[in-house]
Amino acid sequence: MGSMISISIPPGSLGAKAAAWSLLLLWLMLLPGQGLAESKQVKGLPPPAVLNPAADLWRDIRQRDMATTGTTQVRGVDSGVLINANGDKWRKFRMDQLIPIGGYLLLGMGLFLILFYLIRGKVRIAGGASDRKLPRYTSYERLIHWFIASIFIFLALTGLIILFGRPLLIPIFGKELFSVIASASKEGHNLMGPLFLVALILVFIKFVRRNIYQKGDMSWLLRGGGIIGKKHVPSNFFNMGEKSMFWMLIIVGSVIVASGLVLIFPIFGQGREWMELAHVGHAIGAILMITVIMGHIYIGTIGMEGAIEGMSTGYCDLNWAKEHHDYWASQMEKRGEAISNEAVNRFSDPDTNRSLGRELREAGE
Amino acid sequence: MARMKFYCDPERCIECNACVTACKNENEVPWGVNRRRVVTINDGDDGERSLSVACMHCSDAPCATVCPVDCFYTTQDGVVLHDKDICIGCGYCFYACPFGAPQFPEDGAFATRGKMDKCTFCAGGPEADNSSDEHRKYGSNRLAEGKLPLCAEMCSTKALLAGDSDTISEIYRKRIINRSASVMARGVSYRDASFRAPYNAAGKSSAKE
Amino acid sequence: MIGQFIDGPLWTFSLAVFVIGVVWRIVTILMAGNRPDLSTPRGSASSGAIRTIFSRSVYERTAATRGRLLQIAGYLFHIGLFALLFFAKPHVDFYAERITGFGWATMPHWAFILSAELAFLGLLLLWIHRLLSPVTRLLSDLDDHLGSILVFLVMLTGCLALAQSFEALRLIHLLLAELLLIYFPFSKLMHTFTFVMSRGYTGATMGRKGVNA
Repeated sequence: MGSMISISIPPGSLGAKAAAWSLLLLWLMLLPGQGLAESKQVKGLPPPAVLNPAADLWRDIRQRDMATTGTTQVRGVDSGVLINANGDKWRKFRMDQLIPIGGYLLLGMGLFLILFYLIRGKVRIAGGASDRKLPRYTSYERLIHWFIASIFIFLALTGLIILFGRPLLIPIFGKELFSVIASASKEGHNLMGPLFLVALILVFIKFVRRNIYQKGDMSWLLRGGGIIGKKHVPSNFFNMGEKSMFWMLIIVGSVIVASGLVLIFPIFGQGREWMELAHVGHAIGAILMITVIMGHIYIGTIGMEGAIEGMSTGYCDLNWAKEHHDYWASQMEKRGEAISNEAVNRFSDPDTNRSLGRELREAGE
Repeated sequence: MARMKFYCDPERCIECNACVTACKNENEVPWGVNRRRVVTINDGDDGERSLSVACMHCSDAPCATVCPVDCFYTTQDGVVLHDKDICIGCGYCFYACPFGAPQFPEDGAFATRGKMDKCTFCAGGPEADNSSDEHRKYGSNRLAEGKLPLCAEMCSTKALLAGDSDTISEIYRKRIINRSASVMARGVSYRDASFRAPYNAAGKSSAKE
Repeated sequence: MIGQFIDGPLWTFSLAVFVIGVVWRIVTILMAGNRPDLSTPRGSASSGAIRTIFSRSVYERTAATRGRLLQIAGYLFHIGLFALLFFAKPHVDFYAERITGFGWATMPHWAFILSAELAFLGLLLLWIHRLLSPVTRLLSDLDDHLGSILVFLVMLTGCLALAQSFEALRLIHLLLAELLLIYFPFSKLMHTFTFVMSRGYTGATMGRKGVNA
């Protein structure tokens, strides 16, 4: 991630330092040839006695090294910078890389999922739905999942409107109407953004323990998570893919939140470079996250039978659990946590049922 | 068609900031925004020069390229303007502009961006010329009255030039020639490049030895 | 055209429905009366009523049936919404112009945004909980869902209109607020006013019995 950003925009002291070093290196390499180049500089004319003093001036004005800034009576961040070269790098990133590549990436992911669905179809529960269920997520877990999900979808939509609105929506709605939509998106995005941080923290605290990589994850990965071939691969409560998605959510999510905060609070004296850098991180992170979450939504809804039940009702089918999360399912079954469908339908609250199941067991039923 | 340009002559600018003040007053620029600023480089050193910078009204303006709502437009005079009714205040033009011309008034929540404000070359905005709406949003429209931007007209040393690029470059070219250093002189020293007799040049050139 | 209708007649109509409806609801409740309590009072009914009106707003650990997060969410939503509604500058300006004729002290803009964030946080959590938990889903009827949706939409459109520079966004916000006002007297949203009465009644009954509950 870090290297990607610095390739796209090398501003700031670090990038400038690196650039200075590489220039120095380049200069050292060219050293023997330099005298030669100078001697045949101007054909037929005598070599200039003094270089144009204005050339130095304009070199200073370019401020390419980012170290020499001018002084000015106008107070403000960066007001002494005459020419901010990073702005152009940022423009190139946004217009030539982010919008086309990001757009095609999202489009490609969508097409891939459609294609995948057409080829693979819905992953059915091989053994069919059983007559028993396992409590999978408590209502609190489901609550924070749907909390982060709703905020994420809102933020993703509004962000995509701002990013792709000009090429895609202005031709449809016209500038005036799109401006209203874009303003709404921007304000909504800014207001809801900080809530994503809250949601992220809640999700992290609740789910981190089950997402630590453990034994069996490697074999799951090596067998492609069961995508290749018909055989299901056993896994723990979360499989390797889910765990990786969790860590992606936490790490990329933190980048997105941190860079987003830099962008919505332009009051801490951060200059344009910081905001450009934050925007790059924010955009790359967001595109990456949306792409992954598209896959997550696919596998959770139309991609797999029985997958969404855990998050919607709190229960999952016993056969589904055995096929996809065998280690966890067999453990739960052994502990007698499986509940009949009727009991689920009667009480349908995993919090109550967990204690209910215990009572039933104790009563010897 | 005319193509409006600013040119600031660093050999003439005396950093009096009159252009900044004139602009702020004429256009009633919001607090926290300066459409024009004077930057001095090598302040106090040998090569000290000052330059007055504002929007350069680029032919291929980066602000217009990155604007997510496409609110920038170039007038027939080559002036880059933006429509504040469409602007959503995202600040992208502020990131992209090399000159720091578009700025946002920090009056929103947590000082988030309001509608961007930038130099209009004293040409107002998309509203009817010199209407009250136009004046409220963009300041005065001097171009419609046949006048040039006030910053340039106020400049006491005529360092800051504004107007049709042909005229501006002609004036500047003459200055350079008179200063005994042609831009075409390809790095020849001021004295050697003089088109005048050397004794004439003494005392008339603003250039250093 | 439609904007003028939303801004003018519909606003007057919805405000009238709201005021008349609320007054009518409260009056009918009061008119229903209650049977005289013939027992000798062991304590003060009025002090019990006042105490209960406030004490019931305080978190009671023993009576908590939901998780701590939802308790917090409840406070965040109600306090945030109250602050937004009565102390946000755009709202106060609107009231001053349309209803009272005078304004009052407003929150700084950052506090306005912060209360909006907190109110949203609370509303989303509570709403999702209402939809997810089988218990609250059983308890909720159409009225509850309509109320949640309307309040959510009013808040959402308000947040989308934060730039305060697009008339269309303001009108959408206003339209939804008007719909909410019209719906208000006929719904459980009346608890905004009646909570005082129900708590007061309980408090008075208990206070008269000399029980601090």
